[in-house]
Amino acid sequence: MSDGHEGNAGAGLSRGRSAAAPYLFALPVALYIGFLVLYPIGQGIATSFTRTELLTTVPPRWAGLANYRRLFADPAFWQALRITLLYTGLVVSATVVTSVATALLMNARFHGRGVARTAITLPYAFPEVAAVLIWTWMLSQQFGVLNVFARWVLPVSENLPWLTGPRMAMLSVILVTLWKIFPFYSLVVLTAIQTLEAELYEAARIDGAGALACFRHITLPGIGPTLGLMTLLATIFSFRRFTVIYLLTGGGPANATKTLVISVYEHAFRFFDLSYGSAVGAAGLVVTLAIAAVYFTIQRRLGYGGV
Amino acid sequence: MRRLLLYATVALVCATILFPVYWMLTLSVRPTRDTISYPPALWPGEIQWNAYAEAFRTLPIASWLSNTFLVSVGVTLICLVLSVSGGYALSQFSWRGRSIFGFALLTTQMLPEALLVIPIFIIFRRAALIDTLPGLVFADAAFVVPVGVWILKSFMDTIPREISEAALIDGCGPWATLWRITLPLTAPALIAVSVIAFFDGWNEYLFASTFITTAELRPASVGLASFIGELATPVELVFVFTAVFAVVPMVFYFLLQRYFVSGLTSGAMKG
Repeated sequence: MSDGHEGNAGAGLSRGRSAAAPYLFALPVALYIGFLVLYPIGQGIATSFTRTELLTTVPPRWAGLANYRRLFADPAFWQALRITLLYTGLVVSATVVTSVATALLMNARFHGRGVARTAITLPYAFPEVAAVLIWTWMLSQQFGVLNVFARWVLPVSENLPWLTGPRMAMLSVILVTLWKIFPFYSLVVLTAIQTLEAELYEAARIDGAGALACFRHITLPGIGPTLGLMTLLATIFSFRRFTVIYLLTGGGPANATKTLVISVYEHAFRFFDLSYGSAVGAAGLVVTLAIAAVYFTIQRRLGYGGV
Repeated sequence: MRRLLLYATVALVCATILFPVYWMLTLSVRPTRDTISYPPALWPGEIQWNAYAEAFRTLPIASWLSNTFLVSVGVTLICLVLSVSGGYALSQFSWRGRSIFGFALLTTQMLPEALLVIPIFIIFRRAALIDTLPGLVFADAAFVVPVGVWILKSFMDTIPREISEAALIDGCGPWATLWRITLPLTAPALIAVSVIAFFDGWNEYLFASTFITTAELRPASVGLASFIGELATPVELVFVFTAVFAVVPMVFYFLLQRYFVSGLTSGAMKG
């Protein structure tokens, strides 16, 4: 958070008549976020120290650390944490590879490039729930069209348990997530590639460097910082992803895709235990903030942006 | 030869990525028996369009979509007003607490909605905002406002300071400077924020499914999700609804692509 912005219009304006102006402009946002995000976080943490049920009129009772003791002894919690990390790790690596590959493709010169760019990035605009509907149908073991494709490329003779086998379900969830999220990162990478200087490539080509050498020695180092930030962003967004996973598998089969955020939701709205759900949520919050801290530290060390 | 390989790769990649969209459309125009036959024909044999009229007649699509539309407009309005004022404060002034304010907004952007759904539910139940569209709008917007502030802040940073200083010398106050000078120059970013906010209101499922219990208030995302794994409704009707629901953001994307691609990448990556 450097204050490298001093020299901008700000200095002039704030020295003007009303020193209160910036506070007045920031106030609505502060109040809004305060009421709808910060206060709920406090409320959630408070709830995690009580016994609160969703459907009863019994007022919340103080329970001390009971929910947290239960949390640490709960194998389901640790499994959810493992699954979250597995899902996040796989989604993020798949996303980075796919988005770099498609960005390189979108950067190549060919006729109809504009159309191809729109086509490749279209899933970005496709609503999540609609994506889940069509993918659920495509991944149906009984009717799914992916069985047809699977037979083209894989040595299988039977329809696959895309969403009903524990291993397959994780892979299917990752596949659908990837389809939905890679276009955004692909556009980010494309923007980064476009800022690299053409002279570098020309010089390299004169020196006899092939396409692969150009990618390794010019493109990759050039987009490296962007890739780093992208990885962290994708990690944070994967950690908080709910809708796609929940609607595809509901966390199943046999909890194989039940991530932390899904177990929070289940404890609260399926088992009606708001207080234990809040404790799981608080644990998730700690993990998120840890990721965020890594993000900010790296960002600061590399000297990007800042507030 | 290399050109040919390039075009073949592009075609294959595009076909793979677009296939789900194609499959949704083709399922919506097939007769019921063709939707549940295995193996499915990749190219529809018989095409019939009557599912479109049928779906609107038998399913409450119109009411679901109008709820969604109201929510999206509400989220967009709140986001525009708050992002402009927050972005302006962050970009054009230096003040004590600015860093903390920006940092807090960035952190908010990272919090999982699913972890906040319980406390917001508890608070809204007390405030009688549960099961109301305004309540849903408030909750949805809270997770887009930080992104919006950030996009506008980044964009306003690129406006040369001479321009706003000139306005100041001419006797404009901060409010008039924002209204007459900064905002008109920020139009592309305003479009970006509107589109992102509208998308969020359109797509949002988690808060909608937990907060809204009255059937008449249900938005389309929740209505659509109720068909997942449900086999009583004919498949082609479900995909008519899916297609109608998906086409709105896709049209926005075609029309406004260049604005929000730049807004989105700058806002997200600077953050």
